[in-house]
Amino acid sequence: MNRPQIVWTVTSKELLDFVRDWRTLAAMLLVPLILFPIIFVAVPMFLQGEAEELGEYSVEVNLLIEEGHEIPTKLMELLNSSSVIIEPVEVNFDNNKSLSNHSIYRDEASLAIRNGELDAVMLIRTGHGNATENWEYVIFSDSTDELSREARSRLLNQIDIWEDVIIDSTLSENELDRDDVYDPVTWDGTIEGADIATSGEQAAFTFALFVPFIISLWTATSAVQPSIDLTAGERERGTLEALLTTPIARSDLMWGKWLAVAIIASASVLLQLVGLFVAIRFLAAGILTPPSVSIVGWVLFVVTILLFAVFVVAVEMAVAMRARSVKEAGSTLGPMVLLFVGPALFAQFVNMESIEAWWFIAPIFNICLGMRASLLGDVSMVHAMLWMGSSILYALIATGWASRQFNREDLVESIS
Amino acid sequence: MKSPLLVVDGVSKNFGDVAALSDISIQLNKGEIVGLVGGNGAGKTTLLRLLCGVYRPSNGSVRFVDDGEDKSVDEVRGRLGVVPESTGLYSRLTAWENIRYHTRIHGRDDEKSWSRTYRFAKSLDIVDDLHRPTRGFSRGMRQKIALIRSIAHGPDLLLLDEPTAGLDVTSARKVRDLVRQLGDDGGTVIYSTHMLSEAQRICDRIIILHNGTVRADGSPIELLEETQTDDLEDAYISLTGDEARSEPIEKESTLSSILLGIFSGKNRSQNRGEEE
Repeated sequence: MNRPQIVWTVTSKELLDFVRDWRTLAAMLLVPLILFPIIFVAVPMFLQGEAEELGEYSVEVNLLIEEGHEIPTKLMELLNSSSVIIEPVEVNFDNNKSLSNHSIYRDEASLAIRNGELDAVMLIRTGHGNATENWEYVIFSDSTDELSREARSRLLNQIDIWEDVIIDSTLSENELDRDDVYDPVTWDGTIEGADIATSGEQAAFTFALFVPFIISLWTATSAVQPSIDLTAGERERGTLEALLTTPIARSDLMWGKWLAVAIIASASVLLQLVGLFVAIRFLAAGILTPPSVSIVGWVLFVVTILLFAVFVVAVEMAVAMRARSVKEAGSTLGPMVLLFVGPALFAQFVNMESIEAWWFIAPIFNICLGMRASLLGDVSMVHAMLWMGSSILYALIATGWASRQFNREDLVESIS
Repeated sequence: MKSPLLVVDGVSKNFGDVAALSDISIQLNKGEIVGLVGGNGAGKTTLLRLLCGVYRPSNGSVRFVDDGEDKSVDEVRGRLGVVPESTGLYSRLTAWENIRYHTRIHGRDDEKSWSRTYRFAKSLDIVDDLHRPTRGFSRGMRQKIALIRSIAHGPDLLLLDEPTAGLDVTSARKVRDLVRQLGDDGGTVIYSTHMLSEAQRICDRIIILHNGTVRADGSPIELLEETQTDDLEDAYISLTGDEARSEPIEKESTLSSILLGIFSGKNRSQNRGEEE
């Protein structure tokens, strides 16, 4: 049996063992597949549903107005149309104080809102100015209470509309319209039409801001569990010793296991991409524009991820192999994922314009920037060679280190 | 004259400051079933791990003799069959998949491996269990599968670390019968056990290990003659505990020296050196 056959024997056994564990299978393959559809479709739908549900509620508001004044008819109409139940109360305001400084009303409002008797309290009085009418107001609400927040939001929305009506009326009296006042310098035409980037390119730009981070995060985390299971786990279960008595070379054993974890992690990441594609193309069709990325860009993108997976898997397997137990491996690799995720997050904010070449050889940064450049279609040959070359180099160093761990004599015993 | 298969020459094994084996020299001949007997911590498992190449000796050498030519463990590992202390079965794989994994690594054809596996499984009455995942198997069942796994590729030398541990009386007897059969067929077996009665039943030769050293090496009759005792248990106590009974003062001073060693930072091997 030649070396590749032996390595594949180990890999195929590990994959068989992996697919028999439905929990791990679900976590590694199903979750990444549905992650992006959830982000793009389910989350917005859920949020919309929740907002609609909240919109069905009526909110109760006490409207405190200066004694002898009427609540403006237009405001009343608007508030009634948005399911705000108004209870007008006539009070006296101190003209030397701002409305929010009327602590007696604030305290009463606080008590009523906290007791659930009211959702908000609005204070309103006439103001000074040259508009057709001028008003001052304040809304007391509880920002930690959902209904109170909703009441405040509805009041503000309707006040905005009412304010527009007053503005229009004032302008009309002075024989002006909105554009004369607010838009004397006018953009002629549509803003979208003036952007030379296609909507697909704009989508790719947006994707480049967060997709590399999510994918590198998932790659780093998806390799943790199989890395531990195939090294420290096997050691703890006592299966490694039996294997070491066979004629297999330890380096072949390492390569076999490494290949298995790399396949699992890569499959997991590729399924995540499939989920992303399905979400954009089908589930969110009409809502999201598919990013326009060239074939070369996609190829570079996928190759970059796979190289990252190779590197991450080797590092995580070596670390797990050094651990005395599964528990120790888990508690080491958990925080270690942050070492991958931190630079990945930071790399999203690196300015790609006139970027220095060394960014493309810095570990982790090179991968994330490579992914960004691939999505943006902004790939220079030098940069591509740098990030590919450095990724391969890091992967080789990491696998070399992992190989050394597998050659330790105390592999079947705790390393102390 | 029996031809040697394995020569252990002056082997010591240290783990840091701890000496697990000291100056072990033994020779195993083809077709022998050799019992490795000793209490907990005697060094049986360490010696077996050295013989199959999981460990490397700190001093000395382990050589296999193949047609008069010396070979290292790595060169002949494919001809070894090992049942380690922990059976080492993958719980999500079936018994046959566990066995097949090892026979494939040994470069054996699946069909031939299955035929051998079936034969051994039949002799151990576990044919029906070959296609069941090993999760939930009893300790005894796991031992039997591990034993079949170790012989399915047709090894020349079988290393068994307590193969009947956890087995009921009937199963233990079946395992012993199988081992005996392998010996009768010309196979060489090293059988580690802490049960003298078991070693006496199936082994041609018994090596008694104690505190990492060989205390005796011979056939059961030779051990009885050497110690002038009537049964092997007495012989074992005589060989491993005689010092304690005949030299109480020295033993006491040994205990003192160990305690002194601990507090003064001396290690166990140094203490053993002082004893010797």
